[in-house]
Amino acid sequence: MSEFSRLVHIARTDFSYFFRTKWLMAILISLNVSDMLVTGLVYKGLVGFDYFRFLVPGIVVMGLFSAATDTGRRIWLALREGVVQYYMTLPVRTSGLVAAYIISGGLGGIVYSGLLLIIAFVAIPPQGILNAILLLPFLFILATGIAGLAAFFASISRVGEIYWVYAQALQVSLVTISTIFYPASTISQYLPAPIVTIAEYNPLSLAAGALRDSAFGGSALSTGVVSNLLMVSLPLAGIGALAYWIILRTIRVRGKP
Amino acid sequence: MTHSQAHDLSLYAVETISLSKRYGKTDALRELNFTVDEGEIMVILGPNGSGKTTLLMTLCTILKPSSGTAKVMGIDVVKDGTKVREVMGIAFQEARGFWRHKPSSILKFHASMFDIDPVKRQDLIEQTMKDLELWESRDKLFMHLSGGQAKRLETAKILVQRPKLAIFDEPTSQVDLRGKRKIWDKILELRKQGSTIIVATNEVREAEYLADRVTILYGGRLIVRDSIPKLKDAIAGGDVVEVGFEDPVPGKLLEGLKTLGGTFTVSPGGDQLRANVSKAEDWVPRMTSASYNMGAKISTIKITEPSLDDVFLHFTGKGLVDNQ
Ligand SMILES: Nc1ncnc2c1ncn2[C@@H]1O[C@H](COP(=O)(O)OP(=O)(O)OP(=O)(O)O)[C@@H](O)[C@H]1O
Ligand SMILES: [Mg+2]
Repeated sequence: MSEFSRLVHIARTDFSYFFRTKWLMAILISLNVSDMLVTGLVYKGLVGFDYFRFLVPGIVVMGLFSAATDTGRRIWLALREGVVQYYMTLPVRTSGLVAAYIISGGLGGIVYSGLLLIIAFVAIPPQGILNAILLLPFLFILATGIAGLAAFFASISRVGEIYWVYAQALQVSLVTISTIFYPASTISQYLPAPIVTIAEYNPLSLAAGALRDSAFGGSALSTGVVSNLLMVSLPLAGIGALAYWIILRTIRVRGKP
Repeated sequence: MTHSQAHDLSLYAVETISLSKRYGKTDALRELNFTVDEGEIMVILGPNGSGKTTLLMTLCTILKPSSGTAKVMGIDVVKDGTKVREVMGIAFQEARGFWRHKPSSILKFHASMFDIDPVKRQDLIEQTMKDLELWESRDKLFMHLSGGQAKRLETAKILVQRPKLAIFDEPTSQVDLRGKRKIWDKILELRKQGSTIIVATNEVREAEYLADRVTILYGGRLIVRDSIPKLKDAIAGGDVVEVGFEDPVPGKLLEGLKTLGGTFTVSPGGDQLRANVSKAEDWVPRMTSASYNMGAKISTIKITEPSLDDVFLHFTGKGLVDNQ
């Protein structure tokens, strides 16, 4: 087995934990789907446009977010269970282990949001299936970025509860300052312009917008949106890789995380 | 064995060079120079906190030395960690496994990481699980295994892997007596198949059963390293020969023996002669022939060797087992 296939095998094994906690994902899926239906249908009458169509892509991105932050939980568990030390005895370079974790986080995000996307397509017939498929690799990179952030938070969490707090704080801030649940025009009514810009360049907003316009709406996939998505995701993935690499180095020196 | 300095290939399976490891203020290993020959079973014996695990973790590249280095099969653990990991395997003191996997898939993962022939893999895993009595637990998740079962699985990983250098850190702690025997026999079998083996333990019986040589580690230092018989012989007066006579011990016999060296005492009853000597096997013929020459009739002979614990006590001034 080459080092690369070992790395992929490690990523796959780690990723399998995503399915081994089925009940967790089942609950998340049903929460997300009921969000889509209830909120969408209730608000439909209150706001002036088809809110359901606006909301559903946002929910799909939220799903991607939750699944990718699950990486942090897995890293935290692996540290506590000591599986990290086991990984460190395998014939793979440290950088390989780092890559495996980030890839597995990306896979979690893409598989989960892919499922949600398929469910959503049943509710809202898509105008651009091909665009949706083209977007998948970029969503994957976005998920690796979020997984990276999650890895960073896992690395600075001494206890599991703290990691949960970080993940929640991250979620609330990324979701509030975004165009997932409301358009930029709504934000600009209440908040200053710089915050509106942040909301527009929030990676989650970019992804939700791309899905909304191209996958559901059928307009052409803009390279601008896609490259913005790359530009915000890659540094996050980098931060995560660095954080995880630092964890491994700390174990080598101190004998514990 | 030929010595050649020209190239970097070490003659040893393991060699540490002034290896030190310090955690904060604790010196866990101090300038350790230690070697293991290829194909032998080296038992590292030491009490809690003597640095056994630290040494093994450094050899398997999880820990980075504070200073000095080590070589495994001639490969430097600091410079070439990935290559070292290809030739060795470690069964941890505390079992580490994927919590939501079953034993067989943990073993399968391990086998695939070390390129165990996929055709033979399945049979090998099944056989190893049966040998270590893990077969009954095959449907349990790792997190539901008992402490002893998890330890057996830890050993099974290395048995399936058959690495050039196999390391076992207290392989039978938490394992029942039957299980200990099985594990020991499998370790001996692994050596027969060509692996070099290091076992860390604080159990004298484990060391006696397995060791070709023993290294005594104490306070992060190597105290002594040799085969068990040689270590026992090294204790002057460690062997005890007790000879019982039908009549009281003749005074002349006692004086005659004293001229040959050794320490002798006569029992209060006067018919038992107790000799503290270095090598019982040399002294038994001397004592019997001297008795025969003096016409003293021997009724019993009892030889007691020092235990490994006595050896430990001798070299460290402290017992492994507290039997006072
Ligand atoms: N991660 C760590 N951080 C700080 N000190 C440590 C760490 N690991 C071990 N030590 C200390 O280093 C010394 C050696 O520990 P080590 O675990 O190597 O001993 P051991 O011989 O394996 O003991 P045992 O028989 O209990 O397994 C001990 O004093 C221990 O307290
Ligand atoms: Mg130990």
